[in-house]
Amino acid sequence: MSWRQIRPVALPIFGLLVAVVFLAPYIVMLLDSLRPGSEALASPPTFLPQHWQLDAYGEILGDSRFQNWLKTSLLVSLASTAIVILVAIPAAYFSARFKFPGKTAFLFLVLVTQMFAPTSLVVGIYREFFELSMVNTYGALILTNSAFNLAFAVWILHGFFAALPRELEEAAELDGNGRLGTMLRVMLPLTLPGVVTATIFTFIAVWNEYVVALTLMQDDDKKPLTVGISSYVTGYDQNWDQLFAASIVAIVPVVVLFAVIEKHLVGGLTAGSVK
Amino acid sequence: MAFRADSKPGAVTDSPAPASSNGGGAPGAGAPATKIRKTTRGRAPWWVALIWLGPALALIFGVVIYPAIELVRASTGDYSITGLRRGSAGVDNYSHVLSHPALGTVLLNTLIWVAAVVLITIVLSLGLAQFLSKEFFGRRVVRWAVLVPWAASLVITARLFTLIFDYYHGILNVFLTSINVIDEPIDWLGNDTWTMPSMILVGVLVSIPFTAYVLLAGLNSIPDDVHEAARIDGASAWQAYRQVTFPLLRPALLVSAVLNMIYVFNSFPIVWTLNDRNPGYTHDTTITFMYKLAFKSADRDVGASAAAGVFNVLLILVAVVLYLRLVKWREEES
Amino acid sequence: MGATGRTRWIARLAGATALALGLAACSGGTGASDADNSGGGDSAKEIKVVIAEYSKDHTATFWNAFKKTYEDKTGVKLNLQIISWNDIDQQASTMVQNGNPPDILNLNAYASYAKDGLLYNSDEVLTDAVKSDLIDAFVKSGTYNGKFYGMPDLSSARALFYNKDLFAKAGIAAPPKTWDEFVTDAKKVQALGGGNIGYAQPLGPEEAQAEYSIWLFNNGGDWKSDGKWTINSAKNVETLQFLKDLSVKDKVTQNNPGKTNRTDGAFPLFTSGKAGMIVGFGPLQGDLDTKFKNVKYGIAPMPTKDGSAPQTYGVTDYLMSFKKKGNQDAIKKFYELYYAKDQVNTWIKSEGFLPVTKSGLEEFSSEASLKVYLDTLPNIHLTPTDDPAWDKIKLAVQQNLGTAVSPSGDPKKVLDDLQKTAENGG
Repeated sequence: MSWRQIRPVALPIFGLLVAVVFLAPYIVMLLDSLRPGSEALASPPTFLPQHWQLDAYGEILGDSRFQNWLKTSLLVSLASTAIVILVAIPAAYFSARFKFPGKTAFLFLVLVTQMFAPTSLVVGIYREFFELSMVNTYGALILTNSAFNLAFAVWILHGFFAALPRELEEAAELDGNGRLGTMLRVMLPLTLPGVVTATIFTFIAVWNEYVVALTLMQDDDKKPLTVGISSYVTGYDQNWDQLFAASIVAIVPVVVLFAVIEKHLVGGLTAGSVK
Repeated sequence: MAFRADSKPGAVTDSPAPASSNGGGAPGAGAPATKIRKTTRGRAPWWVALIWLGPALALIFGVVIYPAIELVRASTGDYSITGLRRGSAGVDNYSHVLSHPALGTVLLNTLIWVAAVVLITIVLSLGLAQFLSKEFFGRRVVRWAVLVPWAASLVITARLFTLIFDYYHGILNVFLTSINVIDEPIDWLGNDTWTMPSMILVGVLVSIPFTAYVLLAGLNSIPDDVHEAARIDGASAWQAYRQVTFPLLRPALLVSAVLNMIYVFNSFPIVWTLNDRNPGYTHDTTITFMYKLAFKSADRDVGASAAAGVFNVLLILVAVVLYLRLVKWREEES
Repeated sequence: MGATGRTRWIARLAGATALALGLAACSGGTGASDADNSGGGDSAKEIKVVIAEYSKDHTATFWNAFKKTYEDKTGVKLNLQIISWNDIDQQASTMVQNGNPPDILNLNAYASYAKDGLLYNSDEVLTDAVKSDLIDAFVKSGTYNGKFYGMPDLSSARALFYNKDLFAKAGIAAPPKTWDEFVTDAKKVQALGGGNIGYAQPLGPEEAQAEYSIWLFNNGGDWKSDGKWTINSAKNVETLQFLKDLSVKDKVTQNNPGKTNRTDGAFPLFTSGKAGMIVGFGPLQGDLDTKFKNVKYGIAPMPTKDGSAPQTYGVTDYLMSFKKKGNQDAIKKFYELYYAKDQVNTWIKSEGFLPVTKSGLEEFSSEASLKVYLDTLPNIHLTPTDDPAWDKIKLAVQQNLGTAVSPSGDPKKVLDDLQKTAENGG
């Protein structure tokens, strides 16, 4: 049998294997969310729950604290992602298309912001927003998340913008577009995959941020999910089923977002859309 | 990705050419690095640049720089265990860190951790990205599945793995013994031989999605006719990959390697959580070492921890610059 | 880009980074002034209360209700922040570093804060009625340099839990009273096979100091005696050697006890019915009664080395209050309300802990399941939390004890080192 014949079968089978490998730990998580918390650490362990239950999901979804954490996470992630994209686009566009003094320094500075470990910066972040009387505000968390996640978006978008041919831009300017118009009307649509990539990367990074939110947000209802769900398992009281149910629920928005924009992420634009 | 070479005005590329870094030396993932002509459009004065870069700079200067300064300031402070600043410590905190008995172990662990996770991640991601760029039935589902370890909170994933790896209640031992891979259960997190490999496994699992998607974007940006041209020239699949695809992937590879290095260096939850049952510093990396210095060891000194934090940034900076130079050097060689 | 281009590139970015850092230093290098977040004026309009999270269901519920009662009663706003035990040290430190401590902080240590002069003492913030109601042992452990700073929020006591089914199978009639009996019984359970373990021993970093304290107190040892550190005393070395022998020589423990934590290591073995014995406390009892009903267990006093009267190891956490302008009155009212019978005891009951007040003792005395602890509470044996050095030594113990009980570990050397740490002030 030739590869050509095997391929339609072999690739999906291999794909299934890949999917199983990546999902395996999270299948364990799912199963743990479907068994009583008391079973999660039972020895010897069993693959499948001995008592199936959906109680954990009922418990967390009906819990107003959980709903608040979910709301905070959504608000902060969406707002931070929007800011990052809006700020990164002009910076990436300009640094990709023009030469100016300090250009490489700028790109490196952006990268350096990633090099600080969040745990070592939280003291200063707290002080900064404390001085600004912004501790315990969404604004502080959104700004911090935006600033620390700029790097990825700028670097990715820079790469996409830099790759576009110059003729496109010149043609656009001949059509009477200003620099901003050129960027928005001509260049940006062509870098949509880059924008989408940056969006999903930023969203995930903010969605899963822990230590800054822990430090800045005091009120229980202003905590994001990552911080809130640490309540489910403490040294004195373990609700593994709820912890994992909450974690499964927390994955959903990310996967939904991804599913919606996935085709732009890697599929690219069709040839026809380039005019 | 953005468009096909044969379908747009002024084709960017006439022949597959090794990618060069974009104008300023900043490569982009997914950047179709197939251009030969310069794409930058001349110079702009600094004040124009300031307008375009302004919002980004404002965010960075407004939010990031101040805590960074505070970190440096804290590293020269003499702190009580409660966090109360008693005065200046000069460079004592730095010498404290440099003379710390665990420093050698911690640096070696960090080297192993970063090198292993980044290398394994990149190699596996290259293969995975290649695979995910193929058309096959169920591809979308596989792409979603690969995303999950990334979409899940790292803190929780780490917690989950302490359950999976556990000697007594972990499912991994049950699974491996049932398929006869191992005869006896292994204490994955408590046996010093296995602790680091176990952490690396989790590190790789959560790093692959990010890396694979950057590389996938890079792969998709390579025009199809490049492959066709190579095939017509009679190149084998492997030759085509090595001589055509791989060089074109370089910008994406570079960005994913650099960002991975930084992220893995600074990765706290995995090392912290999977290692939380082990006494001492046997399996700590610089980042968990910093945390222990501040809160979990008899040092209990946020000043020393801040000094370690400054060293940590310098270490990453050096590593990244070395890497960039190394890559550059290779390019000049060829 | 050529080699010179590369060099220039690095130089430029170095320059830009330096510039950035310099600019920021000019704009924001000043330290935060001592903060007063209580709204100015002579008496605070609001206080910030930072509470450690004991359990998901009860901690927030109680404190939110408390907040409301307090606000209604005093007109002072209570800003409540609940932080997990994992993060509270870091968060408390962050607040203190920035000159913005809370007004009330719930933590498992207080002496270092008292030493730093940050706290109110009882003369300043407790009414006489409240103070005299507190159990003497806790007042003593909360007293630093003759003043009472560490107000107890709740307490717990440890005892030996044993699995009745495993004991019956192994032919053990009664829980052990001496260490020899303990080893014999543990061996019998271990000999049952089938993955059963004689004794689940958590000496990993989570709570090594607790596990060790229990045993050393019941060998007549202690961390300190007559004001001097006695960490490497003969009795203590003997105790640690005994604990090491349990796994290395007698082989009656689980795998790697020095790398086993309590919460996700030792407790699950007992709740799975796999461990014959374990040192437990109220919350474990609560779990066994509600979630693990198939485990038939008994509770007994700890065995002692020579069969003398057992010592009970206890723990209390603290509610300390920070000196800030204008908050004294609000804090006094906070304590007054907290120690009201219907507040403090309600919370303690819901979390499954033990009382800290004499009136609480009385109120709890009707609960038969708590009798084994309550009787010992007035004479409870605590770790030297009144010494600031302990705050660091405890951490050193947590990080080092596990290595002492590994097959290659050296109990004497580890304790010698800890003694040195202690003599150097932690």
